[in-house]
Amino acid sequence: MAESDGVPAQPQPAPPQRVRPQGNAVVAVLSAWLVPGLGHIYLKRRLRGLAFFVLVMVSIFIGCRLEGNLYKVVPGQPLSVLATLGSMGMGFPYFLLRYGIHYQGNIMGAGYEYGTAFLLTAGLMNLLLTLDAWDIVRGKKE
Amino acid sequence: MLSHFLLMVLYALIVSLFFTLLWRRGRREQIKLFLQIFLGMVGGGLLVAWLMYPFPSGPPAPIP
Repeated sequence: MAESDGVPAQPQPAPPQRVRPQGNAVVAVLSAWLVPGLGHIYLKRRLRGLAFFVLVMVSIFIGCRLEGNLYKVVPGQPLSVLATLGSMGMGFPYFLLRYGIHYQGNIMGAGYEYGTAFLLTAGLMNLLLTLDAWDIVRGKKE
Repeated sequence: MLSHFLLMVLYALIVSLFFTLLWRRGRREQIKLFLQIFLGMVGGGLLVAWLMYPFPSGPPAPIP
């Protein structure tokens, strides 16, 4: 119809390619959150999952060596809720550190601020990995 | 372990490697993004440090 009006038809943009969904979404997301990289390993991205595991664990290790703060909710400080949720993003390691070995940062430590940044970053990175696993299992990402 | 610069470089290395693996697949694209993030973080940190250089770093001077 458009050509009959003298206007050439516009080429239609190709629809976004969807990769066939794979695996169980709940298992992928839960495993991705509990153990860094495990969601990717479950979705058969073994090398990438292993690399993510190493990166997140190294970040946690450095954060602990520097005696950084592993956030917990402090009454009267609403921002501590967000920080705690971010830290809990690291999954099982958070609960192991908090309740297993009763890790506590040292506010007097020279590396306290850096360590806190490393620990919080580890949690946030793992949250992104969880979302990435969700995208992969839904077929929105390769 | 407590060198500020070393820790900054280490942090930039971890974060840039993470986002490179998360966002890019091709080897050339990965190297390009890694360098962009890594150099951006380290260079940005040095730039901010240089801008703050004139400001005193010790405790505030006592009020006479």
